[in-house]
Amino acid sequence: MIAAPIPRPAEPDLADIAARFSALVRAAGAAVTPERAGRFASAMALAPPATVDDLYWLGRVTLVDDHSTIAVFDRVFSQVFGGLVDPADFRGDVPPPPPPSKGSTRPPKQAAPGTEGSLPEPTASTSATGDSSEGEPSAHESLTAVLSPEERLRHQDFAKLTADELADLRRLGDRMALAAPPRPGRRRTRDPSGRELDVRATLRRSRRTGGEPMVAVRRRRRRRPRRVVLICDISGSMEPYARAYLQLLMSGVGAARAEAFVFATRLTRLTRTLRAANPDAALEKAGRAAPDWSGGTRIGDSLKAFNDGYGRRGLARGAVMVVLSDGWDTGDPGVLAREMQRLSRLAFRIVWVNPRKASADYEPLTGGMAAALPYVDAFVSGHNRTALDEVLAAVASP
Amino acid sequence: MRSALESVGYLADEGIATALFCAARLPQPLLLEGEAGVGKTEAAKALADVLETPLIRLQCYEGIDAAEALYEWNFPRQLLAIKVSEAGGRTLSEDDLFGPEYLIARPLLRAVEHRGPRPAVLLIDEIDRADDEFEAFLFELLGEATVTIPELGTVRSSHPPIAVLTSNRTRDLHDALKRRCLYHWIDYPDVQRTTAIIRARVPAASQTLAAQVAAAVQRLRSLDVQKLPGVAEAINWVLALDLLGLRELDERAVEATIGSVLKYREDLELVIGRGAAWVATGS
Repeated sequence: MIAAPIPRPAEPDLADIAARFSALVRAAGAAVTPERAGRFASAMALAPPATVDDLYWLGRVTLVDDHSTIAVFDRVFSQVFGGLVDPADFRGDVPPPPPPSKGSTRPPKQAAPGTEGSLPEPTASTSATGDSSEGEPSAHESLTAVLSPEERLRHQDFAKLTADELADLRRLGDRMALAAPPRPGRRRTRDPSGRELDVRATLRRSRRTGGEPMVAVRRRRRRRPRRVVLICDISGSMEPYARAYLQLLMSGVGAARAEAFVFATRLTRLTRTLRAANPDAALEKAGRAAPDWSGGTRIGDSLKAFNDGYGRRGLARGAVMVVLSDGWDTGDPGVLAREMQRLSRLAFRIVWVNPRKASADYEPLTGGMAAALPYVDAFVSGHNRTALDEVLAAVASP
Repeated sequence: MRSALESVGYLADEGIATALFCAARLPQPLLLEGEAGVGKTEAAKALADVLETPLIRLQCYEGIDAAEALYEWNFPRQLLAIKVSEAGGRTLSEDDLFGPEYLIARPLLRAVEHRGPRPAVLLIDEIDRADDEFEAFLFELLGEATVTIPELGTVRSSHPPIAVLTSNRTRDLHDALKRRCLYHWIDYPDVQRTTAIIRARVPAASQTLAAQVAAAVQRLRSLDVQKLPGVAEAINWVLALDLLGLRELDERAVEATIGSVLKYREDLELVIGRGAAWVATGS
């Protein structure tokens, strides 16, 4: 480690530095609470950092609360304490949710720190700025870049859907909670007609009768609904359905505690975003969180990202997977087939919702769809109200 | 801190050393995340070794509840007491039955009751496996270092435990839990550090073998394998090679022992397709 001296040696006010730096990290989009800022200050008081490296780790351990915000922290840290850093390192995409497995998340080593009296404002905002222009983007430019997907979302043509249908979609998501087939849970519950004898409870009950077991307490395994995971294609070809399906995702997340993902060229997890109470606000946030609205489609790569980052860790294990996509894939169908196979080994069942299936002359001949079909348990259309019941039935079938 | 960790056989980088230092000194619970096999659990063990205090471990699993994590009343013993007092013709009040001697302390209560001289290290392993309701149940312990038992009252800790939580990120942890914790993400160590860790863990292995395996594991990570091999796999690999009496990693050694590193058939096919010699030597 290079031991670069801290720029301001003359009695810095730790609380002030901690507060101002935390504010910058917060402004860049990481949820830094005042409590964490206080913790940062106490950590610096406890172990006064002698090098920029020390300071980096003290800050990262105290201020960051999730793997996904490490990149934000690194960026702000380098801007503030690292002197001039090539903005190209930080432009473009924020890292996707699955953790990077290779390489280090350390900031570039600082050979010559050159921080002046005041903390420079961070320029880029946290959300992915997508394709930003050459050179250092001004605050204004990056702001518009952030807002544009949301704008696009607002102006997308959803006229085909009536209010009734949208309401239906919401109800469908609600019913999905009841629909997901149950799995046997680990916990047990009292049940007079249960098959197992609950010895512990029987003994406990016997204390009421002077230690003589008079009543046999019985129990059975509790049944819990399986997890539902919704993965929605938001590429250009799916545009007419995107808003409708997003409603489905949202109600699924709200009522069925489903997990929601969207993808076009890359995978974005929307579960947290869609959990917000207000539907419109949640949709707006979703638009911002997923930077690739109406882009091309890479289903295989997106599913791979899902399998690597989430599925294998347990998200897909025993779950009902619902893929909402038309199967138009610009990637290699071989990748899609392999990832579908992996997914089918993890998941309880895979439901593929393809709105194009509704047209009479549709045949799943597109490379992606043909590759995926062997691993799909139920292939339904879900393009209108009646077809949505099909989706529900497909999810519910045991 | 780093050198102290090194002295107990845990080779830490600056990040993990800072995180453990802050956890012990602030004091504040520490949430460790990282890929499987990067040494999350080992970090807590090493911290306990450095502080020379007991490590109290709670392995979380789906459906874990208060009776398994915190405390439980010793029912058979209570029943026995009732019977004995009946036989002796004595009366037994409820307070007698719900005294500390009828309490079975589970890991969390043990950690709170630890009498020092230094606080115990409480490892709450794989918290993401427990139900999310269970997290809420930890708040009192993590925030106040107290445990409330309705029949007995609140047990206050004289030496609040240093809590280390680990998670494999199978699900998002609740914000309320994250808010209370320091956070550290453990990355895969680089080749030099992996070599050093292997040397520390498997003293019998030669420097050459350790370095070769560390480099080979690094190469495997560059492939598109489903489960990236971690430090634990590297150590297992060296142990397997050592058991077979192999002093060097060559093509045949790779073919014979690759199963201790890669656990998916697809991964094995991929690697064999790339060539065992490439794994062993990089060319």
